[in-house]
Amino acid sequence: MKLSLKWIQEFVAVDEFFSKPNELAQILTQAGFEVESIHDSRSLYHQVVVGQILEKNKHPNADKLSVCLVTTGQNQVHQIVCGAQNHKSGDRVVLALPGAVLPGGLAIKKSALRGVESSGMLCSFKELALEGSTDGIAILDSQAPVGKPFAEFWGLDDLVFELKVTPNRADGLSHLGLAREIAALLEKEMKPGLKPLSGQKALMSGPVQVEVVSQNLCPRYMGIYIENVKVQNSPAWIQKRLESVGLKSINNVVDVTNLVLMELGQPLHAFDADQIKGEKIKVSVANPGEEFTTLDQKKIKLTSDNLTIRDSERALCVAGVMGGLNSGTTVDTRNVFLEAAYFLPDSVRKTSRQHGLDSDSAYRFSRGIDSELTPFALKRAADLIAELTGGKVSSDYIDLDVRQFKVQKIDVSVELLSKRLGYPVSFDKMKNYAKRLHFKIENETSQSLTLVAPTFRHDISHPMDFVEEYARLDGYDKIPETLPALVKNPTSHDVTFTSLKSLAVVATASGFSQSMNYAFCSKKHESEFLGSRENLKNLGFKIEPASIGILNPLNEELNVMRSSLALGLWNNILHNYRYGIEQGGLFEMGQTFFQEGPEMKETLRLSLAAWGNSEDLWNKAGQQINPVFKIKSFIEELANAWKLPSLRVSGAQDQKVPEFLHKGQWAVVEFRNQPIGWVGTMHPQKLADVKIRVPVAMMEVELGSLIEAQSSIKKITTPVKHQAVTRDLALVMPKDLAVGDLLKTVQHKAGPSLISHKVLDIFVGEPIDTDKKSVSIRLVWQDPAQSLQEEAVNQLQAQLLENLTKQFPVALR
Amino acid sequence: MSQNQLDQIKKSALLDFENAQNLTELYQAKVQYLGKTGAFTEVMKSMASLSKEEKPLFGKKVNEVKDLLEKLYVHLESHLQAKEIQSRMETERLDLTLPGSNPPLGQLHPVQIVTEEIFKVLSRLGYSLRTGPLIEKDYYNFEALNLPQNHPARDMQDTFFVDPTHVLRTHTSPIQVHSLENEKPPLRIMGTGPVFRCDSDISHLPHFHQVEGMCVDENISMADLKGTIAYFIKEFFGRDLKTRFRPSFFPFTEPSAEFDCSCPVCSGKGCSMCKDSGWIEIGGAGLINPKVFEHAKVDTNKWQGFAFGFGIERMAIIKYGIEDIRLFPENDLRFLKQFNT
Repeated sequence: MKLSLKWIQEFVAVDEFFSKPNELAQILTQAGFEVESIHDSRSLYHQVVVGQILEKNKHPNADKLSVCLVTTGQNQVHQIVCGAQNHKSGDRVVLALPGAVLPGGLAIKKSALRGVESSGMLCSFKELALEGSTDGIAILDSQAPVGKPFAEFWGLDDLVFELKVTPNRADGLSHLGLAREIAALLEKEMKPGLKPLSGQKALMSGPVQVEVVSQNLCPRYMGIYIENVKVQNSPAWIQKRLESVGLKSINNVVDVTNLVLMELGQPLHAFDADQIKGEKIKVSVANPGEEFTTLDQKKIKLTSDNLTIRDSERALCVAGVMGGLNSGTTVDTRNVFLEAAYFLPDSVRKTSRQHGLDSDSAYRFSRGIDSELTPFALKRAADLIAELTGGKVSSDYIDLDVRQFKVQKIDVSVELLSKRLGYPVSFDKMKNYAKRLHFKIENETSQSLTLVAPTFRHDISHPMDFVEEYARLDGYDKIPETLPALVKNPTSHDVTFTSLKSLAVVATASGFSQSMNYAFCSKKHESEFLGSRENLKNLGFKIEPASIGILNPLNEELNVMRSSLALGLWNNILHNYRYGIEQGGLFEMGQTFFQEGPEMKETLRLSLAAWGNSEDLWNKAGQQINPVFKIKSFIEELANAWKLPSLRVSGAQDQKVPEFLHKGQWAVVEFRNQPIGWVGTMHPQKLADVKIRVPVAMMEVELGSLIEAQSSIKKITTPVKHQAVTRDLALVMPKDLAVGDLLKTVQHKAGPSLISHKVLDIFVGEPIDTDKKSVSIRLVWQDPAQSLQEEAVNQLQAQLLENLTKQFPVALR
Repeated sequence: MSQNQLDQIKKSALLDFENAQNLTELYQAKVQYLGKTGAFTEVMKSMASLSKEEKPLFGKKVNEVKDLLEKLYVHLESHLQAKEIQSRMETERLDLTLPGSNPPLGQLHPVQIVTEEIFKVLSRLGYSLRTGPLIEKDYYNFEALNLPQNHPARDMQDTFFVDPTHVLRTHTSPIQVHSLENEKPPLRIMGTGPVFRCDSDISHLPHFHQVEGMCVDENISMADLKGTIAYFIKEFFGRDLKTRFRPSFFPFTEPSAEFDCSCPVCSGKGCSMCKDSGWIEIGGAGLINPKVFEHAKVDTNKWQGFAFGFGIERMAIIKYGIEDIRLFPENDLRFLKQFNT
């Protein structure tokens, strides 16, 4: 909402703030009307004044220049060199003095032109960024007051405040309302001004009759007929006023409706009365599917809950939202029917949103106008239209009023206010503030008041609402700072969050940085990336054939809720790789979404991504480590940190590979022998498509079961002090045998005293057969009760070997 | 075996021990004389031929020599070890300016870091963490928070819909409603997570994060709210910053306030961060609207409460001077790696 200080001045005296606008901005902001900016047109014309040319002489050194003596009154004379030809001695002109910076950015300084000193510049309209004659410098009216600041003379001395009006303060959407607020805040008197409607309430105004069919949507409808109008341009003062609040001047009828809207907050509509077929207006809902063309030539299809203003044949207006092209005021209009109504906020808001029609009128109706003010607004507009157009206002007006007021009484007391604000409140102030805010005091005791809110304050219905009003007027700065007493029943944090925190610690310690991607993504990209969702579902993911769509997405890139975290991380890799980061690790913990029947569900997942070969200075001899093993390290660390030994990666036997993975380099992530996700390297085609030339590995798992299991208590055992025995086994086996599957057996069949096992080395080549590999495994046994004897360990080893050879095609090397 | 022989052995042993040039040679000498099959074992074996009277005397002498040699060994060993260490240190050099062998740690996302910092402060005031769904029923996101259908205040939050009754939550406040429904007052809870608005420009993300706090108790006042916020601001920014309340409007609170802190960059003198106002807008707060309590069936005669909330990205921007909000969802490692966890 734009507030013009000059306009406010009509309702309440605010002279003092023209020189200190920031102070008023501060007051309004601290009262809940946040001032976002102040536009001071005077600053555009600082040091620009009305001058009069006393003498015009030829420049001694230049034919095209003149040297003028220009007075700005009080015996002040300036010598100005000027290049224009259209001025003469005696003319009133616009003089920019040194220090002025013109709207185009030209800074005026004292200077010399061809050897003659010039202490300023005579301005053209163009240089002043104003409409006007383009011939030479601006010549003003012969009565223009010499010495007066130009902005003031030209009516540009207004200050416009851009306010953020919160939706509860519909009354702040007019100059009258804001003036009332300023008066209340500063304890000032309002100037008198509003005139009541004169004339007779009747069923017809002029030849126009009105019937309100949908009374529930239109509790009050007023109208008046104005005949013999002459539609033309508005006078300058109206144009300037509309311009100050950002509106364009159209004609003297429409401008008045807009002026009164901005002044009093009552939306009005002026119909070309001769276009009302059958001379009868009906206020009723539209025929379903009825076509309507708005004033701004937008074609819409109305529905049966859209309230319209109609004549005998068609809709003329979408009530409270926008007029129709068929009945607006044009230069040809001779007679006007002026409408001022109260339409139900809900209905206007719904219609306006349904058709995407925004208007100043709909904005105010949907927030709720003051329907007590409607007759005053109608009077103000009708009189003004008559005055400007030479028309005549009918002596009869229409007022179809079925409003039912529910008087909201609220009881407030010193005790309530003191308790809720946290500091002692005074009864006198309470009463004073209530009065200043136009509350009616219905009843009064020594410590309490019964109040009725003014009709323009739809936001007051509860004693707490007045608590805020008191605090606002008293100043929020008065509220002291205390702390509530200690909580009597402290509770625990949500387990999920603390688990995620611990997960993040393991991930960062494993070298992965945390990523946070949007929870929505592109339907198209996701489908292309994921491929078969069935394959994913079989891996334990909660995923359905279709993602949850967003009805009103920002764009096609963000039109479904994500079904996987991997796509987000994949895109992060592309971004990082593009900026030259050829190696890295990212992880994300977050929700993915799926629909089950009508239920919208979400599930918590973890995804990791590692890319690039780690070229480690200290591991020169070793082969390049595929980044997938970084992810494996993380899984092992997590299994260890959360004490979840059954969290493991298992060779994919019967599962179908997710389509985005390399089918020879992936595995199933299992927990308690159930699949919870996948780990693997990306499909080489995917990498080729985006020209990534380093290996990329990823993982995604469902977190639910892990988090649930993680929260169980871990028991600590005392470290064993007896000697441990270490044996290394070298086993020859087929190349494609999953070592992890073999290790599972090792773990189960090497006896309970096996405390660790690890793969030391994998060897391929002579003298091993070409389709085989040799795997060395280090086994460590330790008995908690005694030192193990060689004999016993030999026996355990033999047992294990027997089991292994029975189950796998392996042999001791 | 004679005394003479023993002296011979002693002499040769002393010589071998003294001549050992390094620990290996010394050890070899030790084995040669004192080992299982060493010279002294032979001497001991030969003792069998001695008479009853001679045995203890000779045995004593043998032990004296062995003791002497053992002591000499220990002495020489430490001497040679010191010498060896000395010479090793002359030759063994490591360039410690080379990088370490472990891969670098990863970093947490700034949103996570700031969230945890906020929680640390609020936890000290007794707040416990709650989470909630991101796809919310219209009821929890709006209706229960005193934002009925077609209420103009719904325009304050541009909402994503997934169907006519489900929205992507526009704020973390639905977490309050779940808590009010499922738990019994008194309550001190904080909630966090992603929130969504159909808004995307240089200063807005369609998916961002909020933190929310709610305190429900007997006799809660605006002063309690202001004190809580003031404490939070001082602790979070780690400095003695001032707190300012301004009246505002949220349908779920009454009275409502927006709160600012004195600019942490310029301490209130005016700078580009605070647009020369000296104040930085932090978030919204207020006493819980009785209508919210009524929806959740909380007895408004007994309980009051306050709630507050703010954007996490915004807090990170203020605290770390981040210039562009769009860096948050980009997940560029060059951005992430600058934070310390």
